[in-house]
Amino acid sequence: MSAQRNWTSASWYRVSDFRPRLRRHARIHRHLYRGDVWHVLQDRASGRFHRFRPAAYRLIAMMNGTRTLEEIWEHAVDKMDIDAVTQDELVRLVGQLYSADVLTGDVPPDIIELSDRGRRTKRSKIIKSLINPLALRVPVFDPNGFLNATMPIVRPLFSWFGWLLFFGITAYAIVLAALSIEVLTENVADRVLSAENLVLLLIAYPLIKAFHELGHCYTIKRWGGDVHEIGIMFLVFMPVPYVDASASIAFQSKWQRALVGAAGILVEIFLASVAMIVWTGAEEGLVRAFAFNVMLIGGISTLLFNGNPLLRFDGYYVLCDLIEIPNLGQRANKYLGYLVQRYVFGSSYAESPVSARNERSWFVFYAIAAYIYRLFITAAIIGVVATRFFFVGIALAAWALFLMLIFPILKGIWFVFTSPTLRRKRGRALGATGIFVAGLATLLLVTPVPHNTLAEGIVLPDSGSYANATADGIVEAVYVSEGQIVAAGAPLVGLSDPLVSARLELVNARIVEIERRIAAENLFDQTAVRIMEEELKAAQADRALIRQRIAEMIVRAPASGKVILPVSTDLLGRFAQRGDLLAVVARFEDPVVRVVVPEAQADLVRSGTQGLGVRLSSNPDLTYPASVSRTLPGLTRALPSRALSTEGGGRFALDPATPRDQNLALEPVLLLDLTLDAAPQLSVYGERAYVRFSHGETPLASRIYRAGVRVFLKYFASLDAGV
Amino acid sequence: MSSDTALIGVAPPQVRFYPERADRDPQWLDELGESALRALSQPLRATSAPFRVWYDLLRINRISRRLRELSDADFEDEIRRARVRLRRDMLSNRSIWLGIALTRETTFRTLGLRHHGVQVRGALAMLRGSLIEMDTGEGKTITAALAAATAALAGIPTHVITVNNYLAERDANTLSQIYERLGLRIGVILEDMKPDDRRQVYRADIVYASNTEIAFDYLRDRITFGREGPRGTRAKLRRVAQPMATENPVMRGLSFAIVDEADSVLVDEARTPLIISRQSDPEAEAVWTRVALDIAQALERGKDFIVIGDERRLRLTDRGRTTIGKIAAGRSGIWESPIRREEVISQALSVLYIFKNGEQYLVNDGKVQIIDEYTGRLQPDRSWSDGLHQLVEAKENVEITGQNLVMARMTYQRFFRRYMQLSGMTGTAREVKGELHSVFGLATVRIPPHRRSRLRFRRPRVFRKTSQKWKFVAQEVAREVSLRRPVLIGTRSVAASREVSAALELAGLAHEVLNAETVAESARIIADAGKTGRITVATNMAGRGVDIALEDEVVKAGGLHVILTERHDAGRIDRQLAGRCARRGEPGSFSTVLSLEDPLLDVIEAPVLKTLAQLPYITIGLRLRLFDRAQKRAEKVHARARRDLVRQDRRLNQLLSFAGGME
Repeated sequence: MSAQRNWTSASWYRVSDFRPRLRRHARIHRHLYRGDVWHVLQDRASGRFHRFRPAAYRLIAMMNGTRTLEEIWEHAVDKMDIDAVTQDELVRLVGQLYSADVLTGDVPPDIIELSDRGRRTKRSKIIKSLINPLALRVPVFDPNGFLNATMPIVRPLFSWFGWLLFFGITAYAIVLAALSIEVLTENVADRVLSAENLVLLLIAYPLIKAFHELGHCYTIKRWGGDVHEIGIMFLVFMPVPYVDASASIAFQSKWQRALVGAAGILVEIFLASVAMIVWTGAEEGLVRAFAFNVMLIGGISTLLFNGNPLLRFDGYYVLCDLIEIPNLGQRANKYLGYLVQRYVFGSSYAESPVSARNERSWFVFYAIAAYIYRLFITAAIIGVVATRFFFVGIALAAWALFLMLIFPILKGIWFVFTSPTLRRKRGRALGATGIFVAGLATLLLVTPVPHNTLAEGIVLPDSGSYANATADGIVEAVYVSEGQIVAAGAPLVGLSDPLVSARLELVNARIVEIERRIAAENLFDQTAVRIMEEELKAAQADRALIRQRIAEMIVRAPASGKVILPVSTDLLGRFAQRGDLLAVVARFEDPVVRVVVPEAQADLVRSGTQGLGVRLSSNPDLTYPASVSRTLPGLTRALPSRALSTEGGGRFALDPATPRDQNLALEPVLLLDLTLDAAPQLSVYGERAYVRFSHGETPLASRIYRAGVRVFLKYFASLDAGV
Repeated sequence: MSSDTALIGVAPPQVRFYPERADRDPQWLDELGESALRALSQPLRATSAPFRVWYDLLRINRISRRLRELSDADFEDEIRRARVRLRRDMLSNRSIWLGIALTRETTFRTLGLRHHGVQVRGALAMLRGSLIEMDTGEGKTITAALAAATAALAGIPTHVITVNNYLAERDANTLSQIYERLGLRIGVILEDMKPDDRRQVYRADIVYASNTEIAFDYLRDRITFGREGPRGTRAKLRRVAQPMATENPVMRGLSFAIVDEADSVLVDEARTPLIISRQSDPEAEAVWTRVALDIAQALERGKDFIVIGDERRLRLTDRGRTTIGKIAAGRSGIWESPIRREEVISQALSVLYIFKNGEQYLVNDGKVQIIDEYTGRLQPDRSWSDGLHQLVEAKENVEITGQNLVMARMTYQRFFRRYMQLSGMTGTAREVKGELHSVFGLATVRIPPHRRSRLRFRRPRVFRKTSQKWKFVAQEVAREVSLRRPVLIGTRSVAASREVSAALELAGLAHEVLNAETVAESARIIADAGKTGRITVATNMAGRGVDIALEDEVVKAGGLHVILTERHDAGRIDRQLAGRCARRGEPGSFSTVLSLEDPLLDVIEAPVLKTLAQLPYITIGLRLRLFDRAQKRAEKVHARARRDLVRQDRRLNQLLSFAGGME
């Protein structure tokens, strides 16, 4: 049993001898929706529409001021299907018509009441726009005369020629776009959100929308409708023109109605196509930039917003017309609400909005898809905006969060607690809601989910592959070239030090001198000879040392592998200090990944790591297992590479107070060296590595607790300190 | 009359005024704005009010002094002159001062009483459209006279509205001398008056009437006005065209009302709307009820319909629907419509299976009488709507009466809001201050007592069993009577007053009972209630508003002692009972004797607390808290019922606005 229908109305005594009369400005159109006949009543004064079943229409048709409601109802009971309309429904119908201003009675209308109602409507409009400042509407003028005058110019476009022109240009533009897709999509967000471009965008947007609205207008005119309101709407504070296209609802054919809705989209696509052609042909400059923006608005906004039926813009109305379900979005949400009330809460008062076959599946599909899409698109917009304008992004995010999540939840809670339709079922409703919330909470807080810490690191060769200068000297010769494979011990770089060879000569000369002096003194003074022999030994040792140093002037490969010369271009003639890195000979096989973990996660990573996974930025699809080979015992602020700082695209902010080249981070970090278990063949060193420390599966609750404790660490710590 | 009009044969119809305030149904935003404005202006008014009152009193006292010097003859002249001035000036500041001073002096010269300053302040506040809260026994009746006479002297038809006819008559009689001296006509609406008599009474300057009488008179007037309301153009034209054929309204509109016991009238009784109905044809009712019961009897319990537990509801199954369809096939009228016939059969089934003689109703000499489920009392004047009553009658095989079909319906809230100026007075308004303001736009002004109250509250007692309670009451009564004090015992229902009576009889104490059954003797009983050693048992409703005059000897003995034997649904009503004693600065005492079996406690479910409260001795605080909670809860329930009523009324009115000003 659906909602209770009451046969009698408690207020019948008040209305039974009322003689209703339909006002003259009301027009009634006969429409087909999903095979059913409906009568659409158009109030030409206010531009509103009401949809009625044939049964109700028959009653409305009798309201000509000569019959009382009692008579109309008796006729209904007498001539129509007995339960088609109950007294209660008739009273409600008349009330609805009256408040829609399409009905008067036999008594002269109460002027005070009428003006009061007008005031109320006006005020509720203002309140509505105040509550939702993101969609403020300001009517500007009545364009009907203008449209009538200019219609002859536009009329030829509503023909086969028009369609041909449209499809021709669009097809050409699509081909062009496909050819230059890479140039088009490269770095779009940055290009679009630059300050100069935003100005262009702001100019282009209302212009395109103006054409868009004219498209609606002329299409309505094409089939004889009138457009009486054109104005400016502030969509997210951006002024956009709008037209009142409600006249199209009077069109009998759904294709005509749909085309009115689609006209705007078609116009925009056409403009975007023209802009594409201009963009391809034009030289770099203002015209080209403008064309790009036109394309962006016409293409992207149509695809993602305006033409997308999941948002309540033109595409939605086109869809509604085509599938013959008016008010799809609203009724879809209502239907979900009905399902919950009926089957979860067990309330028999819930009224299903379904009025035709096959509407159910549309409702379910649309309600869910539209919600998800709306969430997605909001998140995307906020994401793009927040990268550029952080605070605007945060404000938008808060607003969206409130509007899309918190407000519906509050409304739901309010409903569950106060709705009179849940009377007697409130216990069950509360129970079901409670179970749902509890289930959600369990899922979030108790169910263990993978717990990971993500960190960034840098790939380094292992410590045995560095060839450092063994002595001070000027680089004299480079024996290898970059990328050459060498064996261990092969000479890499030759250094020379003129001072050393001079000293060798000096020592040689000295040895000769001492030998001569020994020879001269040999016969006379044995003691002196002994002393000089010792001097000779020392000089010889000195020479050996210098010789060895000279031998060391050739830097050799510490291991066999491929040669990398970090400063290959100006190596020759350069002075190297002992210990300077001159070359790396690496096998590109088992690199070391030095990971930087922020202080906050240091403890967790150090003590709670159960598994490790490393992805390299050159090949992000592959995850390598790894193990910690070395942990720096303390925290440090020195980053192993500039690439990990925010300036190099990493996460760590550098301390602005220290010299740039020291790479000191603002906050202390933990450094870990990882070795990859299955060492891959590397192409380069120094690339960024993404490391996931897995801490097993923990419920979110413990993590929230942990985060909470960390936030208030200060207080806990000071407490301890006090003790 | 000129010859021209005589020729046409049309006498110019009398100009008719029917002042009333237009309905305004504020939206939530209006209410929000109003309350914000009120909050802003409140401090300003609060600081300026004392100065204003002081200045008013100064001016009034100055006039009073002048009037006091006058001889009786000069005073008569003064009255005549003042009447003209007041008539001309209407209610300006000056005319209010003059009117109040004049009435004050007249009261002194006729009744020998002179109004206190606080009473003058109360009258001033009422003339400016406020509700005054004045302690019981501070002379509200005489304060109302000040305001009513001043307004009436200014030519404003004034209604003084009381809670029952007895009080209306009594107040009118007490004060008639004053009004007559001032040259004002006074009228009292009594229960059995004919419309023509009522019309005569309403022509008086000041009309005393109970709230139900006056509201029904207004509602009947609305019916005669029809859909266009009192100012309808067509009705006006018809009056010109056929002066004889149109019916005149009974009242002269809603100009100024002083509501006595305003919280009772505007809040407690405003929970049920006023309804005027007409009877349908009993024979037609007999036909369908028989058929309905026959069909209902043919249905099988559990298969065709299910009785839903203790909810006292039942539901038809799908099988039941088809069965009904089969049986009803071929019948005409209401049986053709599935919706209608299922409604009727559901009702018939509940009459057969849920309603029981002695529980929901009682068959009393061939009539079905409803038992109030809350108080358990018989309500012979009421009947169930929508044919339910007729079905019960058919089931019990008594004569079937006609249905009451609604002709007009109106809430008290809407009625009182239509007064051009509304004012009121009560002893207890604090708790409902907000509601009075939001619904009626009445600001509550607290008037301090003239003399400090000498009322002594005794420690409340809560017993476990009702029998213990009655025993204690009898003991206490015996004790007080031995001290030569009179005792008033307040009960909540007629049944309870009988129980007290029985307990007192058992203890051998002679007493009088004042309840709805003994209304006729009430004047005598109340006149005697203040005598030494007199014991009076009164239901709250019967005892309301009466002033028990004490003998001098009694005052010396410590005044009247009042015993509250049951807490009411609202704390206000309890306090009103306390206000029966220690009036006008006399001494008096008040004690509360309750039992855990009192029906008020059924309102809340607190199994733990209730079990704990059964423990002896130490739990008095707990027991009282239980009562406080139950009372709070009952107050809340009633407040919500009233709010729902107003809201529903507003919504209905909006929906049905097309039908014009019908009620």
